[in-house]
Amino acid sequence: MMPETTDVETINRRRMNVVLGVAVLLASSPILISYFVLIASSFTNQMITGGIMGQLIFTLQNWVLFFEGKLTVTAASVLSFWNILHYILNTFIVAFGVMIVVTVLATLAGYACSRMRFKGRKFLIQLLILLHAFPGVSLIIAVYALYIFSKQPLPQNLWTFYAFLYVIVARAALEVPMDVWIMKGFFDKVPWEVEWSALIDGASRIKVWKDIILPLVKPGIAAIAIFSFMAGWGALIYVMVFLPATEKTLATYIAGLLAGGSLEVVHLPIVAAAGTFYLIPTLAFFTFVRRYMLQTSLSGIKG
Amino acid sequence: MNLKKKLILLFFLGPMLFVVILFYVIPLFLSIYISFTPMTDWNVNRYLTQFIGLANYYRLIHIMMYDPDMRAVIITTVVFTSVTLAINVLGGLLLALATYFMDERLSVPYQGLWLLPRMTPIAVYALLWYYFFHSSGIGLLNTILMRLHLISHPIAWGLDPRYLPWGAWFIIIFINGLVGVSYGMIIFYAAFKSIPKELIVAARVDGASTFRIIRHILLPLTRWHFTFITVWQLFSLLTSFAQTYLLVAWRVVDSTWGQPWALYVFRTAFTTTKDQGLAAAASTFLSAIGIVLGIVALKVLRYKEMILEPKGDI
Repeated sequence: MMPETTDVETINRRRMNVVLGVAVLLASSPILISYFVLIASSFTNQMITGGIMGQLIFTLQNWVLFFEGKLTVTAASVLSFWNILHYILNTFIVAFGVMIVVTVLATLAGYACSRMRFKGRKFLIQLLILLHAFPGVSLIIAVYALYIFSKQPLPQNLWTFYAFLYVIVARAALEVPMDVWIMKGFFDKVPWEVEWSALIDGASRIKVWKDIILPLVKPGIAAIAIFSFMAGWGALIYVMVFLPATEKTLATYIAGLLAGGSLEVVHLPIVAAAGTFYLIPTLAFFTFVRRYMLQTSLSGIKG
Repeated sequence: MNLKKKLILLFFLGPMLFVVILFYVIPLFLSIYISFTPMTDWNVNRYLTQFIGLANYYRLIHIMMYDPDMRAVIITTVVFTSVTLAINVLGGLLLALATYFMDERLSVPYQGLWLLPRMTPIAVYALLWYYFFHSSGIGLLNTILMRLHLISHPIAWGLDPRYLPWGAWFIIIFINGLVGVSYGMIIFYAAFKSIPKELIVAARVDGASTFRIIRHILLPLTRWHFTFITVWQLFSLLTSFAQTYLLVAWRVVDSTWGQPWALYVFRTAFTTTKDQGLAAAASTFLSAIGIVLGIVALKVLRYKEMILEPKGDI
């Protein structure tokens, strides 16, 4: 990309920036306000909306109560700190699991789709594009039926472990077609000469892939790793369907808190603290996301 | 191809093929099979061997014709999909144009901000709008309107029968649109950036206005992307239901008028009647639309011609 100075200054750039900046700011206001309400309310004694401003007090109480597993300020707690830690750990397990499965599968298959000649290659690549778009919900019934079937022969003490394994692979499967396609785009950009020189020296294909090509597509690997981690971290439907009710993640915990819309049962600022905590990885990756999104969309959709 | 080559190919493709066959190919056929069984309550052992022909499809067509709730599902699906699709594509285009003509120090944070909903866990994203549209006085929208004295008491935007169906539709369209536009924004923006800058500069030198640059350079050169975004957003709108599911479960949105087809399938199979046979029949419609639309998309977008041959495979 060229520096801005090469543009001919026949238009008033400053005025354009101001007009567009204000317009987009107005359009963005629902996003800004709604995230502000969530995060700010987690630090106040009541929701910052609805109350009278004078009564708002800054407090860390909601965060303490959230980690203690309490739902209201006064009521006795049903859960303990260990339950909450358990849910957070479960969320991490699913997120890391999805990340590992997706990243390994996509870096392997993306390489083959980009670099190897085999029968049915074009068909496979088109199939992946189709699968990426395929309505996953229309399969979840059958995926669940398969799950029930396949867990029956297992001993009961393995069922929880199997549920985690299944939810990870099933959730990863939704991301795989797109990420293979994205990785293919990154492999396509590596010059063939790099690979030839190594192959001519007698190295095997797998060794070349591992030692020479992979380091060159690190940005692609980082991108799909972050995206698939976030997909697993935020997973709701699959976690809700496959994991037993005792094995909650932050998603199903929050979903359960507000089920039925019951306001009496739970102090809303505590939910805001839970939500803000759940949002931390998103905010941590915030600056990477735009760059990686642009990279993957450029190399991903075409070629 | 000798054995060693085959083994290497299996090493690279095997794991992916395993997952694709296990979670796409088999479920597709199994799902169609389940639609021919009376499966309920996930009793696979009892029902999976009973074959009842097209009975589920007859039932589905019957309720589509006579059940007003099912008619609400159909109308909601059509309105929700078409309006949100238009918002996603055109909104994404507008955002991409706006950020393209801005300085980078403005466009980078703005694009980041618009990508935030996409990266936010679904439960948190739904929570934002739970607070926003809440039917009591703590709802942000109610708070603002009451402060401005535009309304005197809180309104249940997505539930109050007086505002249905539009109240519920507005909420589900709004929250899905806000996530959806960022996809178009990123794809269009990347496409605009890949247009040689000289073209824009030359047009400026010749005295073309910004509007004419958009009309005659940027839009014609990104027609492929326009089709791509439209098709892909259509797919995701037909199938995304997680946010809507939570807002229905949390009593922010009416369960009849806030329920597109995909959510109906999910709730019928898992939460309400647990009638998997009927849900599978309803999901077969989605699969059929998915397959037909997908094949059309592959043809229209000419993917086959874009797939390069690996030139130097030895």
